[in-house]
Amino acid sequence: MNNINPDTNQEFRVIGKRIPKLDAAQKAMGRAEYIQDIRLPGMLYGKILYSKYAHANIVRIDTSKAKELAGVHAVLVGEDVPKKMKMGFYKDNPPIKKNKVCSFRDEVAAVAATSPEIAKQALDLIEIEYEELRAIFDPEKAMEKDAPLVHEYHKSNVLNLPWHLHYGDVEQAQKESAFVVEERFTTQWVTHCCLGTSGAIALFDAKSNLTIHTNTQIPSLAQKDFLESLKAMGLENKRVRVIKPTIGGGFGSKLDTYAYEHIAILLAHATRKPVKILFDREEEFKATSTRQPTVIYIKQGCDKNGKLTFRDMRMVLDNGAYTSWGATTPSVMMMPITSLYRVENVRFDAKCVYTNNTYSQAMRGYGNPQATFAIESTLDMLAEKAGIDRVEIRRINKNQPGDRTPQGFKISSCGLSECIDAVQKEIAMDKNEKRERGIGTGIASLIHVGGGARIYKSDGCGAILKMDDYGKVDVFTGGTDMGQGLDNITAQIVAEELGLLVEDINVIHSDTDVCPWDVGAHASRSTFVAGNAALGAAKKVKQTILAYGSTLLDLPVEDLILRDRAIFCPKHPEKTMPIDKLLRKAHFSPQGKMLMADYFYDPDNENMGKEFKGNLSVTYAFGAHGVKVHVDEETGKVTVLDYVAAHDVGRAINPLLLEGQVYGGVIMGIGYALTEEVILKDGQTMNANFRDYKLFTAKDAIKIKAPVVETYDEYGPFGAKGIGEPGCVPTAPAIANAIYDAVGVRITNLPITPERVLTALKEKKE
Amino acid sequence: MTTQISFLLNGDEISHEIKDHWTLLHLLREEMGLIGTKEGCGNGECGACTVIVDGLAINSCLYLAIEAHGKHLETIEGLAATDGTLHPIQQSFVDEGGIQCGFCSPGMIMSSKALLDENPKANHEEIKHALAGNICRCTGYVQILESVEVARDQISGPISIQEGRGECNE
Amino acid sequence: MKAFKYLSPESVEAAISFYGEHSETAKYMAGGTDIIVKVKEGWMEPDYLISLKKIPEMNNLYKNEATGELSIGALTTHSTLEKSLMIQKDYPIIFDAVSNIGSLQVRNVGTIGGNLINAVPSADGAIPLIALDGVALLHGPDGERSCKVLDLFVAPYQTILKPGEILKKITIPPQPPHTGSGYTKFGRRAAMELPLIGIGVLLTLNSDYKTCIKARICLGVAAPTPMRAYDAEDFLLGKQITEEILNEAGNLAAAESKVRDSIRGKAWHRREMIQVYVRRMGLKCLEQIKEGR
Repeated sequence: MNNINPDTNQEFRVIGKRIPKLDAAQKAMGRAEYIQDIRLPGMLYGKILYSKYAHANIVRIDTSKAKELAGVHAVLVGEDVPKKMKMGFYKDNPPIKKNKVCSFRDEVAAVAATSPEIAKQALDLIEIEYEELRAIFDPEKAMEKDAPLVHEYHKSNVLNLPWHLHYGDVEQAQKESAFVVEERFTTQWVTHCCLGTSGAIALFDAKSNLTIHTNTQIPSLAQKDFLESLKAMGLENKRVRVIKPTIGGGFGSKLDTYAYEHIAILLAHATRKPVKILFDREEEFKATSTRQPTVIYIKQGCDKNGKLTFRDMRMVLDNGAYTSWGATTPSVMMMPITSLYRVENVRFDAKCVYTNNTYSQAMRGYGNPQATFAIESTLDMLAEKAGIDRVEIRRINKNQPGDRTPQGFKISSCGLSECIDAVQKEIAMDKNEKRERGIGTGIASLIHVGGGARIYKSDGCGAILKMDDYGKVDVFTGGTDMGQGLDNITAQIVAEELGLLVEDINVIHSDTDVCPWDVGAHASRSTFVAGNAALGAAKKVKQTILAYGSTLLDLPVEDLILRDRAIFCPKHPEKTMPIDKLLRKAHFSPQGKMLMADYFYDPDNENMGKEFKGNLSVTYAFGAHGVKVHVDEETGKVTVLDYVAAHDVGRAINPLLLEGQVYGGVIMGIGYALTEEVILKDGQTMNANFRDYKLFTAKDAIKIKAPVVETYDEYGPFGAKGIGEPGCVPTAPAIANAIYDAVGVRITNLPITPERVLTALKEKKE
Repeated sequence: MTTQISFLLNGDEISHEIKDHWTLLHLLREEMGLIGTKEGCGNGECGACTVIVDGLAINSCLYLAIEAHGKHLETIEGLAATDGTLHPIQQSFVDEGGIQCGFCSPGMIMSSKALLDENPKANHEEIKHALAGNICRCTGYVQILESVEVARDQISGPISIQEGRGECNE
Repeated sequence: MKAFKYLSPESVEAAISFYGEHSETAKYMAGGTDIIVKVKEGWMEPDYLISLKKIPEMNNLYKNEATGELSIGALTTHSTLEKSLMIQKDYPIIFDAVSNIGSLQVRNVGTIGGNLINAVPSADGAIPLIALDGVALLHGPDGERSCKVLDLFVAPYQTILKPGEILKKITIPPQPPHTGSGYTKFGRRAAMELPLIGIGVLLTLNSDYKTCIKARICLGVAAPTPMRAYDAEDFLLGKQITEEILNEAGNLAAAESKVRDSIRGKAWHRREMIQVYVRRMGLKCLEQIKEGR
């Protein structure tokens, strides 16, 4: 794609440049402040006591000894929590449990004390008597009649959620299909493993307004949750200020509010002091949420030419004991199910089932990796059955610009075909090619939202922009930077539009008192939505500058451009005025003015209607991944030798950061495929540490190529689409397909451990 | 159970009263306010708390402060020049995208420094071996390894392809 | 973390005397990378930590050129061993094991003695020392005694050390010519792993470069404590070593192992890995012997 800004016909100065992350130097010097680093005067330390059982009645709880311990300021139990204080969209999760515990991560008491050590000692002094109940850990068994109920009041372990769609006629299409494949897949619990553990500091002012410093990806929605908690506490019409410290990793983990945040609020209110709760690593593993695990039943068919005829999927999701965003992942799973490749007849049904396990949340890809694992694995099976080349079947069915998918998605730009080309260029996909024993290649594609995702009443983001007398800009954005680089994207967009340098732009994204509303850093939407918001504000300021400059320079507005920190007329280069001079002239003249603008961008996408139809995102991101693996047939160990992840990103605003998103996503995806799993045994986390939760180390790092396909999306800021999540979406099926190619076994359960590969190889031999 | 210890911290002579059971991480962060060294796990499994003691990278979460007595400590705060100029390793981490959320970065940079101080021509495999104890969840390590290689070239001058550049840089 | 007093004696005698003063409330500490975790987690609550780091004789690593005996002070760090050219060249099995224990940060502080005395079933350090017929020198209130490294281990986390006793050093007898050795741990990733199974093999051939005159097959995580696969070793003695023979030795070793299921891995898979890696390590030994020819 060319490097010309279509608006100005000038070459881009800032967009498309590998500009290092704006806060990187601060971080490299160890000066960035994370929640770990914040200490407020008079601050107390809160700690949480968790359940000792997966399912039990609390018969007796005695906190008297804990309360007597010197240094303890407050001890709270379930009784102390207002009745209406419940978390999650299903409102089934009080921050401290009363009467009954339903999982090992259930909070049963909390303490605030003058030091973390005293708080911990106090927890040890709390006496609780439990009466153990029969528990249920298998979601499919939890649906059976005689299964114990996780929540008696709910009458059933199956949640009342509407996850069902059927477009076209799947039954008929199956009858007419030339080839049909059918398989069962399972995916595991994995977790975000943010290097900075979770934490929050809550404090009330004299008027009972709340300030909370917290790791969140959703400052505005968190504010709403906290306001609801205050209301439940009898504090109506109060203010909540959410301040985000530097965030040590997000990946979806901070998309809902957690018990510890609400407990910090309760403790701060009880003590009238700032209260900090900071998780240790074990707590981070046990008491924050996972990716949604699934059991997937899938059927896909095609005609004799390889054209997909139908896709039929059914899932059972282990909801755990409480409900967070994991239970809504089917809304995103629908996207690949209905719209990855052209397929007219589609059916999907998902049941979320309560168990006494941990509950799930959002995690990079939000259901898409699970669904894509089943879809792309069975697509290879189908290709083999139909005798069609695996790349060819993807080309036959590829999405194309202008498509309207069965779910009503309008495909504006689509570089899927180019992405497949890019993969083929890097990794040989020809099955007939001679390879060493144990070597195989695989491919898988993806679709993801790339232009926002209207899953809430608003998908908007606000930006406020002000310029000072020296040509510097402050941008107050609703968007959140958690390391992915939204600060850069915002600064680059504003700098490009205003003819400034990136260092002229200061991006403020950390405080709901000064930043406008945003629905959150999720759904790969920040570059697109927050980027468009910043661009909108910059355009407004630009118009004012040009109009004022036109008067000052006595030149028509349409002849003027902003470039190199100046207002400039290509026809009259001598008539240049530095921007700071212009700003001072504007400020220090009679009836002076400061240049400021605000803009709220709410994309023109649609909430999904009754049948889940609607254009969820303004545009969609596409990609294809290819991988070459070695399978050790004696040990079952899979080694990734080469990896290529090609993505249609619309336009790369900052290739350096974009590649970082892709590399990070791919390794997270490879971990999902091969090594990562939160192991639960009867509801209890068995590997709550980095020794047994197998993240890749630097020594495992692999060669990744990340070719970028630029399709220039007409709705994106300078043509850009989102790229935060796609890197980890088709990774597992690409690897599973490569393993099949290498040694002829189809692994249907994640993670693909050496045990599973070896078992499959043995079964094949028999 | 307090003890007076003295040590060199980033070149400065420090004398500090400590409790015997304090970890070096506790001394640095909680008592001295040096927040650059991070705690990611507290059990020596993530490397976020890496500092250099007498030239060796160590996990300060598993190292008693009292054992720092008489030793030369380097922490992330000591890397940049007093005029704010970043150390070549810090600069390359900034320039090459080695930093995203930044929580692992101080430890990662200190591990890199210990390596390049000892082995200024470390090759790709040696870098991977030396950084294996520093977990990063954001970058997939690709740009981190590139950062260290760029810093190495900056410090040692270009080395032959056979000697250095590994797979991630092809 | 629970408060304790830190003591740092400069001789073994002084350390033992400190221990005598405080007995049950005291713990010896080597590198500290395991013990600090235990104290932090509250699994261990000593009032006194007696550090052995300042005892010079425990920090020595040297080979007696006259006798060919290698002496490894118990406080020798894994890094010291990993970086030693002598270890790299003459004791590849030690290098294989110590260069992949934990992280570099841990290896810079953690010691071979600490690794042994910690006595976790997954300790990598013990296997090569057992394969090399290492002898542990202990020193306690009642004086010195020694035992085979293999015999140090009683049960998981439990050694034969009596209260107050210190592991001072490990000696390795001279190795006959035509000896090769190697260690591998099978895990899911390339570093930071506790082994799913650890396999160490040492072979000595006679001057025909074919006939096995000594074999050691040592396994970690294959039983509650490190073990030797004697059936497999006996099988190899006197045989002309081929891939098939090593394969059979692998089968025997797998059969005599007492592997079990855990969250880290399944028993059947561990057994198969023993089978595979006894052969692979055996082949590595043959290669070394050939190279040294």
